[in-house]
Amino acid sequence: MSATTMGSGAIPGPAKDEKTSLALGRSRHRANVIVKTLCVAATLIGLVFLASILFTLLWRGIGGLSLAVFTTSTLPPGSNGGLLNAIVGSLIQTVLGAAIGTPIGLMVGTYLAEYAQNSTLGNAVRFVSDVLLSAPSILIGLFVYTLLVEPFDGFSGIAGCLALAVIVIPIVVRTTEDMLRLIPNTLREAVIGLGAPKWKMITLVCYRAAREGIATGVLLAIARVAGETAPLLFTSLGNLNWSVDLTKPMASLPVTIYQYAGSAFEDWVQLAWAGALLITFGVLAINIIARVVLRGGK
Amino acid sequence: MKFATTALAIGLAGFIGAAQAQQITGAGATFPAPVYAKWGEAAKAASGMELNYQAIGSGGGQNQITNRTVDFGASDAPMDPAKLESAKLLQFPSVMGAVVIIVNLPGVASNQLKIDGPMLAEIYQGKITKWNDPKIVEMNRGVTLPNRAIAPVYRADGSGTTFVYASYLAAVDETWKTKVGVATSVKWPTGAGAKGNDGVAATVQNTQGAIGYVEYAYAKLNKLPTVQLRNKAGQFVSPSAESFSAAASQGDWAGAKNYAVNLIDLAGEKSWPIVSATFILVPRDPKEPQRVANVLKFFDWVYQNGDPIAVNMEYTPLPAGVKAAVRSTWRNELKGPDGKPLS
Repeated sequence: MSATTMGSGAIPGPAKDEKTSLALGRSRHRANVIVKTLCVAATLIGLVFLASILFTLLWRGIGGLSLAVFTTSTLPPGSNGGLLNAIVGSLIQTVLGAAIGTPIGLMVGTYLAEYAQNSTLGNAVRFVSDVLLSAPSILIGLFVYTLLVEPFDGFSGIAGCLALAVIVIPIVVRTTEDMLRLIPNTLREAVIGLGAPKWKMITLVCYRAAREGIATGVLLAIARVAGETAPLLFTSLGNLNWSVDLTKPMASLPVTIYQYAGSAFEDWVQLAWAGALLITFGVLAINIIARVVLRGGK
Repeated sequence: MKFATTALAIGLAGFIGAAQAQQITGAGATFPAPVYAKWGEAAKAASGMELNYQAIGSGGGQNQITNRTVDFGASDAPMDPAKLESAKLLQFPSVMGAVVIIVNLPGVASNQLKIDGPMLAEIYQGKITKWNDPKIVEMNRGVTLPNRAIAPVYRADGSGTTFVYASYLAAVDETWKTKVGVATSVKWPTGAGAKGNDGVAATVQNTQGAIGYVEYAYAKLNKLPTVQLRNKAGQFVSPSAESFSAAASQGDWAGAKNYAVNLIDLAGEKSWPIVSATFILVPRDPKEPQRVANVLKFFDWVYQNGDPIAVNMEYTPLPAGVKAAVRSTWRNELKGPDGKPLS
C-alpha cells in the first residue's frame, strides 16, 4: 500500500518528505479505522447472538424450572415428570468420560511435549490427535457403537462414557502439550543439573508449573462433552426410567432435550427448555471456573 | 478413605438395586412413543416391569433389532417380509393411528374444507397450485377460498408418517404410484421440507396457504386446523376416533402376512382413509429368551389393560380378534430352547 504513495519503482521504506509522510499516516489511520470498525461489528454480531440465545433460554426455560425437575425422573406426557434421571445420567457419563479420557490425554500430551518433540512418531501422533479433535462427534458415537454396543448386544451407560472419553482425549492432549511447551527450557536444565531423573522433572516441576493451564484444558473438555448429543444417541441411547446401572441404557440431558423439544406435548417441550437452560448454565459455570483458574495462575 | 469406601458402598447398592428391576429396552418409531411411555408407566405400577422406549425412528428401530442391540424394535412401516425372514424377526401390531391433513387458511375453520385423495396427490405434484382452483372451489361451495398459492409441506426426515401418507397418495393416484412411489422418504415433486411432525406443524402455522400432513395426536393436541377427506365410499369424513376405528374394522387382518395389514383407503361409509398400524419386532432366535419373554409379557399386559390409555391419547386400539390372533402367534412361533412357549 505504501509503495503507491512513494512513486513508481521505489522500494517501500520510510517517507522522504513531510507530504508523503502525512499521506502515509492518513492512509494508515484510515485502514486502522476500517479494520477496527469491522472487528467491533463482528464482536457485536457475536454478542447479539449469544445474548439472544441466553435471553430466549431464560425466557422459556425458567418457567419450566421447579423442584420436581430435580426430584422426579422423566415420565410420559401429562404425568408431571422431571429430569432427575437425565441430570444424574449426564453427570455420571460426563464425569466418568472425563475421568477415563483425562489421564490418557495427559500422558499423550506429556509424551509429545517432553519425549517426542520433533520425532516422526511424535509428529504422527500429534497429527492424528488433531484430526480426532475436529472429527464430527457422531462418528465417534458410531465407532463406539461398532466396538461396544453391537458385540455386547446392547446400549449401555459405559459405552456413552467411553464415547465421551474419546472426545476428551484430543482436547486434553492439545492443551497439555501447549502448556508444557510454555515452560522455559532453563527450568528443565536446572532440575536435570541438580541430578533429578527426567520423570521427576516432569512430575514435580513441569506439571506443577503448568498446573493451571492443564486444569483449564480439562474443564474445557468437560464443558464440551457435557452438551454432546450425537455420540450418546448411538451408545447410551437414553432411558425413560431411573437407572444408574452402567451396563444398561442411561438417560442424559442432551438426548432428552433432543427428544422432548420436538414432541407434541406442552409439558415435554417445557421440560426440554428447562433442561437446555440447566445444561447451558452448567457449561457456562464450567467455562467461568476455567477462566478464574487460569487467571489465578498468572 | 472412609468416605471413599462409603461412596463405593452406596454406588454398589444403587447398581444392584437398579439391576433387580426387569428392564425392557425398545427403540424405533416416533409416532407411538408417547403411548408406549404411558403404557410403561402404568405397567410399572401394576407389574413392576420397567419399559425404556427410545424414539429413534422406524428405520432405526428395524436396524437396532436386526443388530440385536435392543429387546424389541418398533416401526410404523411394516418390515419387508424378506428382511423379516433373514433377520429372524417376528412382527406384530401394537396400536393404530391416523395421518391427518392440516392447513393454514385464515377464515376457514377446522374441518370446514373438503378435499379428496386425487386432489391431494395433484397438490403435492404441483398440478393444483392455487387455493381457488376450480376443483377445490367446486368441492367447497359456500366457502370463500383466497387466490393464494398452495404451499405443500412434507417431512424432510425419513418417517413412518410419510410412508403412510405416500401409501395413501399412491392408492388413489396412478401417477403418484408410478412416478413418486411409497417409502419412508420419497422424492417430492414440489413443496418444502420440515423435520419431524413439529417441524411440519410449525411450517404450516407460519405460512399462509400452507398444507401439510401430521399424526392425528399432533393436530389435536396443538389445535391445528384439519380438513375433511372423501373416503372410498364417497363420503366426506372428519378425523376422529370413530372414523379411525371404522377403518380399522374394515381391515383384512386375517389375510395379512406378518400382520402387515393395509388400512389405507378402505370401504365403509365412516372410514377415515389414512389409517395405519404400528409394529413391534422381536427376535425369533433370542440369545436370552427371558428378554423376549419380558417383551411379550409387557405387550400382553398392554393388550389386556392398555386400550383406555391409548384412546385417551388419541390412538386407536386393535380389534379384540387381532389381539387373540397375535397371542396365538406368540405361543406357536416364539419358543425357548426347551421348546416351551415364551408367553
